[in-house]
Amino acid sequence: MRTQGSQGVRTRFTEELAAAGAQCTVVCGAAEAGRALARTLAGVHARRVVGSDAPLVQRLLHALGDGFVLEPLDRLSRDELFACDAGVTTAQWGIAETGTLVLESAREKSRLLSLVPPTHVVLLSAGCICESLGDALARVSVASHAITLITGPSRTSDIELTPVVGVHGPQTLHVLLLEEA
Amino acid sequence: MSFERSARAALADEQLRGALRHATTLFGERRRAAMATLPDWEGARDRARAIKDETLLHLDRYLEEFTANAERAGARVHWARDAATACEIIGRIAAERGARTVVKSKSMASEEIHLNAALAARGLEPVETDLGEYIVQLAGEGPSHIVAPAIHKTRGQIAALFAEKLGVEPSDDVAALAAAARQTLRRRFAEADLGISGVNFAVAETGTILIVENEGNARLTTTLPRTHVALMGIEKVIPRFADLEVFLQLLPRSGTGQRMTAYQSLLTGAKRRPDDEGPEELHIVVLDNGRSAMLASPVTRQTLACIRCGACLNACPVYRQIGGHAYESVYAGPIGAVLSPQLFGLARSSELPYASSLCGACRDVCPVKIDIPALLLHLRAEVVGRRVGKGGVLERLAFSSYAAVMARPRLFEWVMRAARMLRILPPIGAWTKFRDLRPLAPQSFREQWRAGLRDQAAP
Repeated sequence: MRTQGSQGVRTRFTEELAAAGAQCTVVCGAAEAGRALARTLAGVHARRVVGSDAPLVQRLLHALGDGFVLEPLDRLSRDELFACDAGVTTAQWGIAETGTLVLESAREKSRLLSLVPPTHVVLLSAGCICESLGDALARVSVASHAITLITGPSRTSDIELTPVVGVHGPQTLHVLLLEEA
Repeated sequence: MSFERSARAALADEQLRGALRHATTLFGERRRAAMATLPDWEGARDRARAIKDETLLHLDRYLEEFTANAERAGARVHWARDAATACEIIGRIAAERGARTVVKSKSMASEEIHLNAALAARGLEPVETDLGEYIVQLAGEGPSHIVAPAIHKTRGQIAALFAEKLGVEPSDDVAALAAAARQTLRRRFAEADLGISGVNFAVAETGTILIVENEGNARLTTTLPRTHVALMGIEKVIPRFADLEVFLQLLPRSGTGQRMTAYQSLLTGAKRRPDDEGPEELHIVVLDNGRSAMLASPVTRQTLACIRCGACLNACPVYRQIGGHAYESVYAGPIGAVLSPQLFGLARSSELPYASSLCGACRDVCPVKIDIPALLLHLRAEVVGRRVGKGGVLERLAFSSYAAVMARPRLFEWVMRAARMLRILPPIGAWTKFRDLRPLAPQSFREQWRAGLRDQAAP
């Protein structure tokens, strides 16, 4: 297992993210992350935003300022969730060789927010990028009843094998890659 | 209808053949491009097959280990001997929970046991949520491909279907069609109280099930409803969590030509705390339905190594011309021709082992190196041996005479001499309809040898 988060692995990860159809912004420190989050949400015209219970997500969302309606995750009905424009979560790991994000249910409530709203914004610490799928499988724990691997936005090719993005899951996947300040 | 007749009907359908040509060619190109991104493709195939072989040799043990670990994590595991039992179990789970809306993500095993019909008989209306499955469900058809169920339809046909069934404006825009399906299915997801999914891999070591997909419908199916039922064949088990890596390298590349599909859900038991996200109950139905009979024979056992990628369908010169429906089984193509007779009875699918030129393209593309041509030959021998094929008395007589002649040199020579004298050949119409037979030489090699060739041959 090579050093995770090394520059080469990071570069590969961002390249593969782009190849998978995701967007990526590299940010340094929480203040910059907050500004990038606001720009990203405004860019997809998101108004109703819901964040996971990760402390970082909550901190950034509450610093967002006007123009957004923050929905409370724990009191959200299914219909209200379906009406949200964007979900904000973190990812526990990244996988460089495929541009994959790994979300563990025991660490954060991110299953629905990463799936139902048309835009999913993910915060990932650059130090948590593994080189390969095998490395990531060795790090996750089945103490999480659900481990979700995400590679790019939702897609289908079921009609004439023509690719369409955003079928049942998010159409837009945006990663904010956090470098240490 | 017989395979021969349905294949003929398919061959006459220009629209079908156009759709198939387009899709299978594209699938092949994407597969080859994705394959090239894995440094050691052959090594990965060998490793995957070795894992499958190891598992199948001790399947009883691994299944018990899987069951114990899944239950320890909070899942309920049900073992179903056959299709009827599996349908009964799932129907009862639905009834006991008063389920009204049932959403389903893609599962070939559920097609195999005709689960939708069984649930409909109980007054439930299962909704297929994979776009391809949704299309064939709306059309009242079955899937024609393991990976792309609606591969046989053109966008024009799908537009007309959606206009009729969903009341949307007919559109040739694929994105608009997908959006219409999303819109309709979102309402079903919002009210669903039971979700039914398939399983791609089940890990014995941890009790984890893995579901691979691109659309997100399997994630919705396994997250939103209060109860999740996962249906898996007994062959889905692999020993270790780390084994997932090689299969996740092979399956997306072989199936859709992707290096990784958009989503993999690794589910271990039900939710642990009341405020966790996800279903309160996870039921895993483990289906035999004829598989242990395949397991019993060392010849047919490798059938169970299949990971349902569909690559052999795309590569098969027969499937590429006639598509999946002509096979009249939920499993089509080369692997379908091997699976169907073993799952549904040799007599019912006796024509399928012959639906192949034995060219070997299926074996070459198979990510777990299943020797499909060898299995087809084995099944052909079974069809003849058990006399369930349509070959009648005449065919049997012809082959037993042929065997008798070939086993006796003197008789062979006599027959050949007689055939030359009479300038006739046995009437084998079906064979000579599309082929020319070589004319017989005026003198056989043996005759030439005796008449002096032997002396010339000496140096």
